[in-house]
Amino acid sequence: MPEPFKLTVSHAPFRHNGSRISIKNYNILAATLLAVIPGLLVYGGAALSVVTLSVSTAMIWELVMNYLTRRPYSIGDGNAALMGMLFAMMLPATTPWWVVVVGTFFTIVIGKQIYGGLGGNPFHPAVLAMAVLMLSWGGYFDFNAALVDYQFDFNPVYPLVLVKSFGSGAVEGFSAIDLLLGRQVGGIGTFCGLGLVIGGVYLMLRGYIRWEISCSFIAGILVTAFLFHHANPEAYAGAGFHLLTGYSLFGAFYLATEDSSSPVNFIPMLIYGALGGFLTVLIRNIGAYVDGVVFAILLINLTNPLIDKIRPKTLRKVINYA
Amino acid sequence: MKRSFFGFIKPRLTYEAIADTQAEPAYVQVSEKIRLLLDQPAEHAAEIVLSVGDHVKSGQRIQTADDAGEYELSSKSGNITDIVPYLGMMQKRMTAVTIAVDPESAQTPDETFKQESPAPTLESAARFLQGLPGKPDFSPFFDPGKLIKAIVVLGVERDLMAVTNQYFIKTGIESIKTGIDVLRKITGIHNVVLAVPEHLVQVAGASGAGVKTVDSEYPASHPQLIVRHILADEMKSGDLSAPADVAFFSAEAVSAMGAAFNTGQLPLNKLLTFISKDGNKRLACAPIGTPLKDILEAFNETVQDADRIIFGGPMTGTAVYSIDEPVQPDTDMIMIQDRSQIPESADIACINCGECVRVCPVNVPVNILVRLLEAEKYEAAASEAELDACIECGLCTYVCESRIPIFQHIKLAKHTLERMKAEESNA
Ligand code: SF4
Ligand code: SF4
Repeated sequence: MPEPFKLTVSHAPFRHNGSRISIKNYNILAATLLAVIPGLLVYGGAALSVVTLSVSTAMIWELVMNYLTRRPYSIGDGNAALMGMLFAMMLPATTPWWVVVVGTFFTIVIGKQIYGGLGGNPFHPAVLAMAVLMLSWGGYFDFNAALVDYQFDFNPVYPLVLVKSFGSGAVEGFSAIDLLLGRQVGGIGTFCGLGLVIGGVYLMLRGYIRWEISCSFIAGILVTAFLFHHANPEAYAGAGFHLLTGYSLFGAFYLATEDSSSPVNFIPMLIYGALGGFLTVLIRNIGAYVDGVVFAILLINLTNPLIDKIRPKTLRKVINYA
Repeated sequence: MKRSFFGFIKPRLTYEAIADTQAEPAYVQVSEKIRLLLDQPAEHAAEIVLSVGDHVKSGQRIQTADDAGEYELSSKSGNITDIVPYLGMMQKRMTAVTIAVDPESAQTPDETFKQESPAPTLESAARFLQGLPGKPDFSPFFDPGKLIKAIVVLGVERDLMAVTNQYFIKTGIESIKTGIDVLRKITGIHNVVLAVPEHLVQVAGASGAGVKTVDSEYPASHPQLIVRHILADEMKSGDLSAPADVAFFSAEAVSAMGAAFNTGQLPLNKLLTFISKDGNKRLACAPIGTPLKDILEAFNETVQDADRIIFGGPMTGTAVYSIDEPVQPDTDMIMIQDRSQIPESADIACINCGECVRVCPVNVPVNILVRLLEAEKYEAAASEAELDACIECGLCTYVCESRIPIFQHIKLAKHTLERMKAEESNA
C-alpha cells in the first residue's frame, strides 16, 4: 500500500542545541565593534575605509575561492567578514589600499581556503597574513611613521617602541588607565583596551571563545612580564604595561581563540594560552620585533596539534552486554 | 533544550521525571493487523516453519526456522497474511510477518508456555520470554565466555522524555519484586541492583533489591555509565572483575517476566510514552506489533507530509518511513515531530570548535574521529580515535556547530567494521 504522504527520515539525534557557525561568527563580529568604534572615532574616515575595504575584499576573496574550488558558497557563515575585520583591526588607519587587499588575499586564500576552508587552517588566517605583510612591507606597520599626520593629546609614540628603545623609564608617563581607555597609538581596533575587554568577557560568557585560552594567555603575559621586570626593572616594563599595549588583549581574545588553530582539550588550552603569552613577552623583550603577538600566535598554532594530544583518558567499555 | 545563554556552561540535558499526576495509559485497539519483525533474513523462508494462511495463537512463538533462536511472540491470535523481507537499521535483513487478528471474542491464547514451564527455569525463560515487552535478553547467561555476577534492573529511561520504565516502578513495585525474585531463582544470582532516579528511591525500596540512584543528567542511565558509576565500589572490592559481566533488564521486562511465571499468561502489551506534536506526553499500552497508524488514531494525532516520527527517543531513536511501522518489544517511546520542529542539518566541514569533545561522556576525541570518519578511514578511526569506546549517546551531534551528522557516521563506521570482521572470519 503506498503511503499517503512521505515522512522525513533522518538519523538520530532529532534535537539540536541550536548553535551554528554563523551565530558564533556574528556574535564575535558584534563584539569587535566595541574596539573598532573607538578606532573610527579617533582615526576617522581613513580607519573606516580600511575596515570596510578589508571586510568587503575578504568576502570577495571567499566568493572567488568558493567559485574556483567549486565548493558551496560560505560567506553566509560570517567567517570571511570576521577575518577581514580582525585583519583590519591590526592595521594602522593609514594603511594603503593595496596592502589591505593583498592582506585579505593572504588571509582568505593562503590562510584559509587552500586548506579546504574553515576548519582546515593550521594558522589563524589573519595572523598569517599579518606576519607575511610584516616581513614583506614592515614599513607600513611602523605605527610612529604611519600615524605621524595625526594630532593627539597624548604621547603619540607607539609605547612598545619606546620601551624597546629606551627602557621602562620612557613609558612611565603612560598610566594604566590611559592605556586601558585607548590613549595610545596603535592598530585601528587594538588600542582601546576597555572595548577589547568588554567584548572578550562577553564572548567568554557566551562560550563563543574559550575562556581557558584567553585567561591563560593573559596570565602568561602577566607572569612573564613580571619576571622580566623583576629581574631588570630598568630595561623591562611591568606586567600591566605589556598587557595593555600592542596586540596583547586583542591576541588574547580574538587571535589565540580561533577554533581551527587552537586545542580543544582543557589542559592543552591552558598550556597553549600560557605559552602564547610567554612567547609574546619573550619576543618583545629580547627578540627583534617590537610586538611579539603575531609571531607568538603563529608559533603556538604550530604547536597545537602536538599539545592537543594531551587529552583525558577515554573511558573504555568495562562490560560487554548484549 | 537549547544552548544556555552562558555558553561556557556545559549543556545539561535531563531525563524526564514521571509526574505524580501522570494519567493512566490509554489502551490502544488493533484495528485489523499486527506486524512482527523477526531478526532473521527472509531467505530462510525455504525452511520456514510458518506460512501464509497459518493460524497462530496469542503468545505463540513466531520464528522463521525451528532452530533460529530468535523469535517474537504474537500478541494476538489470527491468520498470517504476509511474510516478506524487511530492511532494518543499517540495511539489516529481517523478516516481517503480518497477522490479521481474530476478533476480540475469538482470541485464543497459546498454552505451550503454561504446559512446558510449570516451574520457572532459565531455559524456559529463554525459550518463551525473550519476546516479552521490554525485551528481556537471557543470552548472556548462556554465553560460555561470560560469568554473570550481577543483574541490574533499569528503572530508568534509555532516552530523554520517556517515562515508561518509571511507570512500572511507580505503580507496580510489587510485580517488579515478583520478577526480581524469579530472576534470582532462575539465575542463582543474588546480587540484583535496581537502578532508579532519585525521586523513586523510596518506592524502589520495596523491591527487595539493592537500590542505586542514577543521576538525572543525560546520559547517566546508559548501562555502561551505570556500571561505571553505580557499581564502581563493588567492582573495586573485587565482587565484580573488570571487565565485569553484568546482565541488564528493563523494569518493564522484569515485571512482565514475573507475571508470566506467576500466572502462566504472557503479558503482550507494550507500554510506551507517546509525545505528540504539541509536546503533550501520554502513556499508551498497545499490543506488540500494533501498527503506528492505530496509535496515531487512538491519540487523534494527524501526520502530514515531511513530518517526522521517531521510535525510541530524541537522542538515540530511529525515524520511521511508514505509519505501518509496528510497535516492537523495546519501543519505549514514539515521538511525532512537526516538520517545522525539525532542526536543519548542514553540509559544512568540522571547524574544530571542540564542543563535541567537551560534551562526550567517555572522552572520545570526536574532532579527530569525525575527520577520519568523513574520509571513510574506519580502521584508523578505531585504532587512533577510540571509535569503539563510543556509547552512542548522540550528544556530540546535539552540540555540533557545523551540524555534522556525527552519530550517523559513527554508526555506519561501526557497522562497516563489524561486517568486515565477519567477512574475514568467514573467509
Ligand atoms: S555519541 Fe558522541 S558524545 Fe556520545 S559517546 Fe559517542 S562520541 Fe561520545
Ligand atoms: S562540534 Fe562539530 S564542528 Fe565542533 S569540533 Fe565537533 S565535529 Fe567539529
